[in-house]
Amino acid sequence: MRRKINSKAVSLVLAAATSFTMLAGCGGAATPSNTGAETAATEATEQTADATQTGDIASNMEEVKVDGFAEAPMLADQVAAGTLPAVEERVPDANNVFVETVDATGAPLEIGTYGGVINLGPAGGSWGLSRPSLESIIRYNTDGSYYPNVIKSFEHSDDYTVWTFNLREGMKWSDGEPFTADDITFWYYMCHLTNYDSKKSWAALKEEVDGEDAWATLKKVDDYTVTWTFVNPKYPADFIENGDFKWCWAPAHYLSDLIPDSEDYPYVENEYWQSTGLSEEEVLANAQKKNIDAATVKDLGKAVSYNFWNVAGVPTVSAFVLSTVPGNSSKDDTLCIMDRNPYFWKVDAAGNQLPYVDALHFNQTSEDGQDLLMFRSGEIDVITVAMKDIAATLADLGDSASLREWGSTAWGSYQVTFNYTNPDKNYADLFANADFRQAMSIGVDREQVSELLTDGFLEPGQCAPAEGNVGYDPDWEAKWTEYDVDKAKSLLEGCGLVMGSDGFYKFADGSDLMLTFLAYDGGADESYPVFEQYYKAIGINCALKNLEVAAFDEAVDNNDWVAVMGPHTAVGGASLKDRAAPFVPIAQAAEWYGEYGTYYATKGAQGVEPTGDLAKLVELYDKWRLTSDETERDNYQAEIYKIHKENLWSIAYLKAEGYFELITSKLHNYADNLVSADCYQYSNMTHYEVLFKAE
Amino acid sequence: MEEKLSKNSFVENLKEFFRRDLVQYIFKRILWFIPTLLLISILVFFVIQLPPGDYVSAHIAALATEGELVDADYAASMREDYGLDLPVWQQYIKWVKDIIWTPSDTAYYRLYHSHHNWKYSFAYGRDVWSVVNDRLGLTIGVTAIIMLFQYLVSIPIAVYASTHQYSVGDYVSAIIGFLGTAIPNFILAIVLMYLSYKWTGNANVGLFTQEMLKNGIHLYNFGDFLKRMIIPIIVIGTSGTCGIIRSVRAQMLDEVAKQYTLTARAKGVSEGKIIMKYCFRAAINPTVSGLGGVLSSLFSGSTVTAMVLNMQIQGPVLYKALQSQDMYLAGAIVMVQAVLVVIGVLFSDIALAFLDPRIRYSGGGR
Repeated sequence: MRRKINSKAVSLVLAAATSFTMLAGCGGAATPSNTGAETAATEATEQTADATQTGDIASNMEEVKVDGFAEAPMLADQVAAGTLPAVEERVPDANNVFVETVDATGAPLEIGTYGGVINLGPAGGSWGLSRPSLESIIRYNTDGSYYPNVIKSFEHSDDYTVWTFNLREGMKWSDGEPFTADDITFWYYMCHLTNYDSKKSWAALKEEVDGEDAWATLKKVDDYTVTWTFVNPKYPADFIENGDFKWCWAPAHYLSDLIPDSEDYPYVENEYWQSTGLSEEEVLANAQKKNIDAATVKDLGKAVSYNFWNVAGVPTVSAFVLSTVPGNSSKDDTLCIMDRNPYFWKVDAAGNQLPYVDALHFNQTSEDGQDLLMFRSGEIDVITVAMKDIAATLADLGDSASLREWGSTAWGSYQVTFNYTNPDKNYADLFANADFRQAMSIGVDREQVSELLTDGFLEPGQCAPAEGNVGYDPDWEAKWTEYDVDKAKSLLEGCGLVMGSDGFYKFADGSDLMLTFLAYDGGADESYPVFEQYYKAIGINCALKNLEVAAFDEAVDNNDWVAVMGPHTAVGGASLKDRAAPFVPIAQAAEWYGEYGTYYATKGAQGVEPTGDLAKLVELYDKWRLTSDETERDNYQAEIYKIHKENLWSIAYLKAEGYFELITSKLHNYADNLVSADCYQYSNMTHYEVLFKAE
Repeated sequence: MEEKLSKNSFVENLKEFFRRDLVQYIFKRILWFIPTLLLISILVFFVIQLPPGDYVSAHIAALATEGELVDADYAASMREDYGLDLPVWQQYIKWVKDIIWTPSDTAYYRLYHSHHNWKYSFAYGRDVWSVVNDRLGLTIGVTAIIMLFQYLVSIPIAVYASTHQYSVGDYVSAIIGFLGTAIPNFILAIVLMYLSYKWTGNANVGLFTQEMLKNGIHLYNFGDFLKRMIIPIIVIGTSGTCGIIRSVRAQMLDEVAKQYTLTARAKGVSEGKIIMKYCFRAAINPTVSGLGGVLSSLFSGSTVTAMVLNMQIQGPVLYKALQSQDMYLAGAIVMVQAVLVVIGVLFSDIALAFLDPRIRYSGGGR
């Protein structure tokens, strides 16, 4: 059955842009009948101006008309052989298909050619395979704007209690089964609310009703429309923008015999799905039949409905799906392969079904530097490269390699943080005194640090948003950066410290002041000796304690630490939308606020109650979270930033460090100046489905 | 005639050898395996547990670096599932019991292990034996080839060097041997990879090409596989050869100066026979007694070099398991190594007795 392509069809990308715009600008319509295209057509003109509010990349997308579909030769062969339906039956029609025309920076894409594979380094941890393949509910551009991705569009009621997701009619799972509202209800009621996916804690779908946790009510309106209903208003920051809420679907047709109804995973009453009645043993046996090896239902559930990209055979909606061929079907295999999804629902502007390349190959390496050798040999196409290797590699490889720069959203580099909730009152009081932090900051010669640690590559800076990021402020970046030993010493004396006979300051009660910096996995081995000499020169005795990452976490969790240096969960990030926890003490997540975060996370049951400016941060965060007005939210965020600027709870010595990639010049459509951040899914922003290889 | 005689004497030797109280000895030695291995297992288990934290904390820390936050409830229930919340001695007993007695793929296994699995690799999410098995064939194959290379190269050189003491050949072999030992394996590996890259444009990282990993090793690409073996063989092979060359050479020099050699020579026994039948047999003694570790290294391969060369053998798996505190996997690998060492030592003792009739196991002279 060949669908006629409507020449008036408006690109879904445009729909995406405008429905986002709509969200930012007006109250949004509660009626789920609007298709994205219609919405786009009617609202585009009046809403374009608002797009600038969070960036205008989305509105740069051009209207694209798809006149028909084309497919990769390898798929055409299968169609000819009768083993695969025609492309028109595999992808959604022109009104529902996603037309990809620009990259995440807004630059237009080339129309590619089919074939070849992209060779990458090791797949890495649990999330490694997801980075180049995951398709999430929404997708971000580098300027922070976003658009619906897997879903066709979303709307919310005026009071923000009802959110509607419109799906793409005709969209299929990677095994050819239709992707419908049932897959959403199945995920929610059978996988998520049962905690089968281990993530029932997601704040996006949770709210507080009468002091108790309550979860959204999900309704299937029709096969391609669902609504999420909350009792209280659920604002974008808490819902669609919540970084955890990346997907809300699971392949019901595949997983239904893998869900138990047991003591630990009891059936959750709902109108769409009945209890499977399966015991945990039966479920594990069924998993075994599907070649999924799991020891416990907890492992199984997390594998198939959370880190599903790691399990061969589980249908997905990604451009690439894990191979089922033994030896290539695990991220731990020496060569792990992700093959083209023949049912992928995105096309380029010319109607060519994406992805362009046949497969992604992940090549296991066991040592740093091997990837560089393999890149030079042409065995790997993309690598992350250290600054020091760039010049030599490019000189050797000439035009056959090119450089890509990734911006960082970090607030400076070489951050140090103190434990403001240290059980020793001497330390807690000292750290709470801003003069102490200023002394620790101005007591270090940043120019010299830059030379010693980065060959002058990273300029002196402070724990502040980098240029080009939300909240950039040159004054902030320069605050407390002037090197001044005498002033540092007088500030320390102003904190009540007393110089001891050994040349180091002591607390007023005569007890020793010793800043033991925790670091993990050798992260501060190189930098600590440099900083040590400065700290000691201003009379601060210090030491470095390097731990394995697990031991480091344990020390922090136990509040058994004084200060940290090197990589740690630092303050900063793209914006509160990216992930709020690094900015405000609301979780057991970041070192700079120690036990204050535990207090919020446990609703006061544990931890230390924040006071003063820290309490103000929490207050502002709650306001930010519970507001729909974009301007107001920006204002709250700005206030939070201002408090950070005043306090500088963490100190950074140099500007933020991005990272660099070398790619083979054969790769086309590989965007430059992307931004590495959690909400952007790191390298997911590259959009691997549009990459192609050509001389 | 002479050949027949020597064949007869070999059979005689063999008979003689087994007439001794060897069977009893072997039996006794095998009984001793039990306390030895028990002791080793205790040591292994507790040493692996020594670092602070456990797999769950290591796993959660790793997830955090990927941006995934895990709540405390989940961590606690994971510990409960994996039994990490039990006292260490209980964990130990269960571990030993399961690792030895629980058969996989039976209904009992599934039922029992759905909640408490003690031979489960957390990181790989499956049975430890299946993880070990994945790389076993390759590890044995690669290591065997390398060892064969070591002995085939070093023993003839040693014999030559001892019979041509202070000759140019002796010095050259000594220099190469010492260099091989003195240069750390991983540096040699890096240098060779660099040279390979410079000369051929390919660093030959890893044992297989992508094509082999996708399609398997067949006759048509076996040549490529052998090419990839060159660097590992040179690197690992040369590291062991010097030791063998020096010890065999020194022993040989001892033996050729002994009375029996002089006597044999005076009686007109051919030089080749003196060297090979008498001197060499005695000189090889220390090398054979060193074979105890061979089985174990066949199993694990050379860890550091394997990592530098990106070889997909057992060593790096153990390293990673220790790093991520995947303790049952690490424990299983170390235990297998221990068992193999114990068995290897037994074999080498038996071989020694066979080589040198003067060695007795039953106590008392004859």
